[in-house]
Amino acid sequence: MNKIFNPNKSKIYFDQYLFISISLLSIMGLLFLYSASQGSTETIIKQSLFVVFGLILMFVLSQPDPDFYKNNALFFLILSIILIFLTMLFGKEVNGAQRWLDLGFFTLQASEIIKIALPVFLAAYLYDKPLPINLFQTFITLVLILTIVNLIRVQPDLGTSLVILVAGLYILFLAGLSWRFIGISFGIFILSLPFIWNNFLEPFQRQRILTLLDPSADPYGSGWNITQSKIAIGSGGLEGKGYQMGSQAHLDFLPETETDFIFSVIAEEFGFIGVCILVSLFIFILLRCLYLALNARDRFCRLTIGGLSLLFISTVFINLAMVVGIIPVVGMPLPFISKGGSSLLSFYIAFGIIISMATHKKLMQR
Amino acid sequence: MIDFKERYSEKKHFFRRLILICTFFGALFLYLLFKTFSLQISSYTDYELAALKNKTREVLIQPRRGIIYDRTGEIIVNNVPSYNLILNPSQITDLNNLLLEIQTIINLNDSDILYVKENFKIRSKLNRELILKRNLTKEEIARFEVRKYRFPNSYIAERYSRENLFPYLFSHSVGYVGNLNDNSLQEILSLQNLSPKETIFKYSNGFLSGKTGIENVYDQELRGFFGKKTYEVDASGRLLKEIDTIPALDGKDIHTSLDLKSQQVAFRELKNRRGSVVAVDISDGAIVTYLSSPSFSVNKIANGLSQNDFNELIEDKNKPFFDRAAQGRYSPASTIKPAIGLFGLENNIIDWDFTIDDPGYFELPEDGRIYRGWKKGGHGKINLQDAIIESSNTFFFSLAYKSEIEELIKHLSYFGFGRNVCLDCFLPDNGLLPNPAWKMNTLNFGWFKGDTVNLGVGQGYMSATPLQLAYYSAFIANKGALNKFSFVQDDKTLPKDVFYSGNIDDKDWEKIHKSMIGVIEQPKGTAGRLRELKDYIIAAKSGTVELVSTDTKEDYKIIREEEAKRDHAIIVAFGPMPNPKYAVSVVIENGESGGSVAGPVAIEVLNSLLDYE
Repeated sequence: MNKIFNPNKSKIYFDQYLFISISLLSIMGLLFLYSASQGSTETIIKQSLFVVFGLILMFVLSQPDPDFYKNNALFFLILSIILIFLTMLFGKEVNGAQRWLDLGFFTLQASEIIKIALPVFLAAYLYDKPLPINLFQTFITLVLILTIVNLIRVQPDLGTSLVILVAGLYILFLAGLSWRFIGISFGIFILSLPFIWNNFLEPFQRQRILTLLDPSADPYGSGWNITQSKIAIGSGGLEGKGYQMGSQAHLDFLPETETDFIFSVIAEEFGFIGVCILVSLFIFILLRCLYLALNARDRFCRLTIGGLSLLFISTVFINLAMVVGIIPVVGMPLPFISKGGSSLLSFYIAFGIIISMATHKKLMQR
Repeated sequence: MIDFKERYSEKKHFFRRLILICTFFGALFLYLLFKTFSLQISSYTDYELAALKNKTREVLIQPRRGIIYDRTGEIIVNNVPSYNLILNPSQITDLNNLLLEIQTIINLNDSDILYVKENFKIRSKLNRELILKRNLTKEEIARFEVRKYRFPNSYIAERYSRENLFPYLFSHSVGYVGNLNDNSLQEILSLQNLSPKETIFKYSNGFLSGKTGIENVYDQELRGFFGKKTYEVDASGRLLKEIDTIPALDGKDIHTSLDLKSQQVAFRELKNRRGSVVAVDISDGAIVTYLSSPSFSVNKIANGLSQNDFNELIEDKNKPFFDRAAQGRYSPASTIKPAIGLFGLENNIIDWDFTIDDPGYFELPEDGRIYRGWKKGGHGKINLQDAIIESSNTFFFSLAYKSEIEELIKHLSYFGFGRNVCLDCFLPDNGLLPNPAWKMNTLNFGWFKGDTVNLGVGQGYMSATPLQLAYYSAFIANKGALNKFSFVQDDKTLPKDVFYSGNIDDKDWEKIHKSMIGVIEQPKGTAGRLRELKDYIIAAKSGTVELVSTDTKEDYKIIREEEAKRDHAIIVAFGPMPNPKYAVSVVIENGESGGSVAGPVAIEVLNSLLDYE
């Protein structure tokens, strides 16, 4: 298809703003991780490989025309649902959660794939529907979203399921869901909170929420993580303690420094200044994405870019809000910074798709 | 065109929603930054402290306790090092194997092994040492040291135990140390703004504190100051590195006025009989001899006593724990007579020429009640000097009869009766100086004239401790002026008691001395038997404390069948005359004769103090 409208075969699709800022984040991430892992070379080499592979993947995924994604969206969704079921059947159990599928060379977290596949599918589904979408389509999409969210929730992986839920809702919102509908569903949601509390939350998840409300109630037990995280962040002060000088991180007071709580390490070692720089970078990426969404060639691209970038920023927010103690501990890595396989790669994939959507223009617009 | 229009409106719609979302996330991230700001900037100091508290662990260093010396510089209580075999658990992988190997060279008993096994895991986790065996013998040390290379994670190190080098001689005066309970530990540490925490011990017995005697009274000086090591620790509490050390300040050595030689003499002479010897330097009130008998071994108490041994000590009918010198209550009996005589002189009731006719008893004019003397038929016509020498009861009965009781009480309290006379004694008893108000309050009886008469010969309700009797003796020796007693004198201004008098002058004091010299030196003196035991002049007054009142010698013969009912023997003495240096009091329970039983002990102690052995 491209060939018809694009005589220049060698054109590459590339957004320098996103590419540079994501590369910058990734490199900073490697530095932070080196400190957070107590200078573990092994961790850094592994993570570097992921970063390089991720950047290449992002570049490669930004080359196909958006139509490729649109036409194959259903296929990707079904594939990722199958992966979810496979995880349920053959998944590796770690700390009481069955989230990982061992592929031999790589342990895949299928929820990270479906996190991308669902918004893309929703955008593709809503691509040619008259806007604002009617009640039937809303119903269909909601059922799909909630089913998948529940599949992830039972693993249990509350964090990821929440992110998928909001990502789906973003798409609906951007697709022009009527305010009346939003209002009514929000009302129903508030009313059903006690029901959700009693039936959908695991006891440890409830405990985490209670802990958030009063971490000092049990500072050495369930409140330990958040207490130590706050001490780490607070003791960083304005300028921080210096690279690799964070006592909270290096003397093991801080839990999960390489993954969920890596932001605490950053805040401890680089202080409020470091926090502001990092947050600015995240915000910059969001704004760039939203700008690209506004100028995207069609509704599918707009919705996809919007959905995926909001998915990204929600993940960032949930992670930061969790470590500073605004929301309960849900288990959510910091994109491009935290150590990880699937979750790290999922964001390179997401941004590869975003760049593809943003850079491919229709002839009419050129 | 329609398509374009629609696209345009859709785009506008999309844009509006994007703005909404931007606002939403803008608010969220602003709140997030605000929250971070409040953690990192507003509450920075709190969290900085919290992080510091997290990563540092303070460990106390026990100070070494001061050494206690006698007045000649002989060590009485010392810190004796013992050698302990200590493990470094965090480096040891196979404990059982190590124990087996060590057992081939050092004999380990089951309780040692059990202790190590119980504590190994936690010490290993925390990177702390673990004592495997205490008090190694020289052979064990030698056997280990030559094979040291085989045990890189075990070593021998020194720990102290507190030892009294004369465990029976100073049991009550110096006292002993024991373990500290948590409350007192907290109190002691709070003096240094510290709180109880893990401690590097210098003593194998852990925290020590003085329980009795000088060890207790001077506990604060002897104790020293705790040092502090600050370590960096990780979350599991493992010690990583030493950050700071404030060394412990060892306790001050205490130089007492106690005299080892005279103490040994007193101990030898008392022969474990129930009783007490107290001797003082009259120039400054320094206690030089202080013995309560029978005694017990303080080292056994301080270093762990089996329950059986302890019960034996507690149940011993001779009560070895009881400090007779400071807490034993005895009637002063005839030893009180010089003080009563001085009262008569002071109040112009008598003078040195005043005589009475002593028929052997005193009859109370009010009711005809008879108060008997010790000599049948009496002493005849007798003055104050002879009444002291021969110990006439009648003379002092009649003198007391003419005395106003409140005045008499006041007078006696100058001599140390009924009050604390010691600055640094451990729980001294005040004895009892009875007055009408006391009798009314405790016995619910009014004061009889007869009570005053009894007081004239030191019998009745009045009681005094051997410490007070020694004070009394020294007060007379020093002619009515004396420093309060003390074991430790350095740098202290010692308060002085002075007897202010209108009528008694130096000559009167000298005559009292002369009378008390006569008690030994004159043929009619009651303690004449002591004359041969010394080569110099001593002043004394003996007393015999009646525990059961009897009218005739025949009656007493029946009474004395039971040892516990026999009279106590008392003597107070000072010398050498005419310029006395030391005063002494000796009490021997159920010893019967002050002069011939308590007397020789007093003489031997004075001999030792004055180097006349």
